[in-house]
Amino acid sequence: MNTILFEILGAIATILLAFTVGMFYGGARRKIIARIQNRVGPPVYQNFIDVIKLYSKETSIHHGAMQHMGPVFAITASVTSLMFVPVLNGGGWFWFDNLSFSGDLIFLVYMMVFGSLGMALGAGQTGNPNSAIGVTRGLSQMVGYEIPFVMSMVALMTQFHTTSITGMMEIQAQSGTWMMFSNPFAFITAVLAMLGMFHYSPFDIVHAPAEVASGPVSEFGGKYLGLMMSSGSIFAFVKLTLFVNVFMGGASNLIELVVKTFALYMIPVLYGVTSPRYRTEQAITYFWKWPLFFGVISLLWAAF
Amino acid sequence: METSLIKEELLAQQLQNAFENIVTEAVRKDTVFAYASKEQVSSILLYAKEKLGYKSLAHMSCIDWLESDEFELVYIIWSPETKLNLFVKTRIDRQNPEMENMDMIWRQLNTYQREIREMFGVEFPGFVGEKEFILEDWEDAPPMRRDFDTLEYVNDTFFEREGREDKQDVRERIAKRSGEEIPDFAKKYSRE
Amino acid sequence: MYNDKNAQTIVEYIQNFTRKNSLFMLAYGTGCGAIELPATLTSRYDAERLGVRGAATPRQADLLLITGYLSTKTLKRVIRVYEQMQDPKYVIGFGSCTINGGMYWDSYNTIKLLDKYIPVDVYINGCMPRPESVIAGFKELQSLIAAGKADGAAKYKENLEWYRENQKKVLKNWPLVEYNW
Repeated sequence: MNTILFEILGAIATILLAFTVGMFYGGARRKIIARIQNRVGPPVYQNFIDVIKLYSKETSIHHGAMQHMGPVFAITASVTSLMFVPVLNGGGWFWFDNLSFSGDLIFLVYMMVFGSLGMALGAGQTGNPNSAIGVTRGLSQMVGYEIPFVMSMVALMTQFHTTSITGMMEIQAQSGTWMMFSNPFAFITAVLAMLGMFHYSPFDIVHAPAEVASGPVSEFGGKYLGLMMSSGSIFAFVKLTLFVNVFMGGASNLIELVVKTFALYMIPVLYGVTSPRYRTEQAITYFWKWPLFFGVISLLWAAF
Repeated sequence: METSLIKEELLAQQLQNAFENIVTEAVRKDTVFAYASKEQVSSILLYAKEKLGYKSLAHMSCIDWLESDEFELVYIIWSPETKLNLFVKTRIDRQNPEMENMDMIWRQLNTYQREIREMFGVEFPGFVGEKEFILEDWEDAPPMRRDFDTLEYVNDTFFEREGREDKQDVRERIAKRSGEEIPDFAKKYSRE
Repeated sequence: MYNDKNAQTIVEYIQNFTRKNSLFMLAYGTGCGAIELPATLTSRYDAERLGVRGAATPRQADLLLITGYLSTKTLKRVIRVYEQMQDPKYVIGFGSCTINGGMYWDSYNTIKLLDKYIPVDVYINGCMPRPESVIAGFKELQSLIAAGKADGAAKYKENLEWYRENQKKVLKNWPLVEYNW
């Protein structure tokens, strides 16, 4: 009984940790963008204010059942994938032994798509033409970045004969080198795919406010937007932690985790600040050129 | 510097020879006016387009001559070869304003005719086009006619901010307060 | 617990604090004043440090800026956009045109007095207001929100018939949707 209670408490603590870290990263991103554009920028905790305000807004939009389900799907996907990612070395955080099993890497690759698909269903119900365009763009871009991402993951899985994240971390602990050094091409492929995964500029074709009025979320206001912002920050934490676990040997304490994830987070942020938005076909060709090339090399690296 | 109007006079003469009862005038450099009757306009435009090479329609406009109870329609066409503007002007009756529909000569006349129909109430029989152009749900007189009282319409339709009913001309008061003088050229714009 | 006055004031205080520090602004350029907004938002004046940021659709927005004159045609769209926004929502009227007609005081197709058609919380005067005065307007709105006085939306709901009557006087054959808030 007690163990179940502790597990639930630990799960909630993990969600809170992911939410807080993701929110602060979002705030830091806004601050960094502002500083690069020679502005003062909002405070780092600005995203918290936004989310609390959004949750306290009235929400009286009704387009059908699926529209209400869309944001729920998004946050379900984020939280579920969070449950399968080991936060620290050898398990979870705060009494929480996470739900990792021997095939969780494959599961995660699938689960990370689920949120986008749920959002696509929800946005499709609203009937807003901008949503439809945004969904189309999002799914095309997903086809773009999923292929290199899966290639790099498959390369690692075949080389080390394990499909679990904890297994990957153990291998790194035993060999003493991080996988970003032992398998550099897989790392490069995954990082290039991560640029698209974050939907930041130049790959923000999905939410492009000037073109498609924030795309899939254009009919979602108030609490739904708040849900999506929370889901986005949890998901950012999930992605970063997954990459840190697989390629950078995980983290033994929270400070190490924050340092490693923040360093990794700077790649899409800084790449985004300095690049204008791509068009859809440019984004897809981008992913299908160099990331795919590096993905093939990483597969060959794993085979020989 | 006196500029010679050779090209312009030539065009005026050409039109004069081709049509009877038409007054042409080379007014200034690159500009020729042709005053014609309502029935002649279409043949003048076609002649200028097909024979003289005035291929481009620059503008069509309407002027309200309230005093003589007439509308004046102006077609401005331009030739890429001679680089001359030809203004074809005609006057039509103001009480029953009707003009020949000419959007088969230049398609863009369709838009101009829609605008003139809406803003001046000139009818173009046989003309196919959306009834509304810029205004929506307009029920009053055509607003660009000079006998349409804009101020009265505004006072009837829109609200006035309280305290602004007298519409004082505060210019003189401000000038007096700041010790400045209103220059002579600006005095004619006073409301008195 | 729920009837506890202190608890309610604390909740209200937090709500007002977040609302005033996070204004999502619908960038709907109705008139010439929209050209002042890029200057307000970019590096020289930087409204984002006050929490003001652009929202792309009315569903996400809190703040509607009426930037300048409104022709009757634009008024239709403004009313629809305003009614699509979610509570709590605020309106800022920009420039003399929204206050008393400005230089369009005798024009047959621009309205003269905005607050007869939709409730306006803050007016910024000037023709056009410079970015400094725009930011002063944001600050004024923030202080109104903090005091709980920016209740334009509630006013609109209460006096809907009066607003509808005024709107129908200008917009004759335009179907005004009966929203159920």
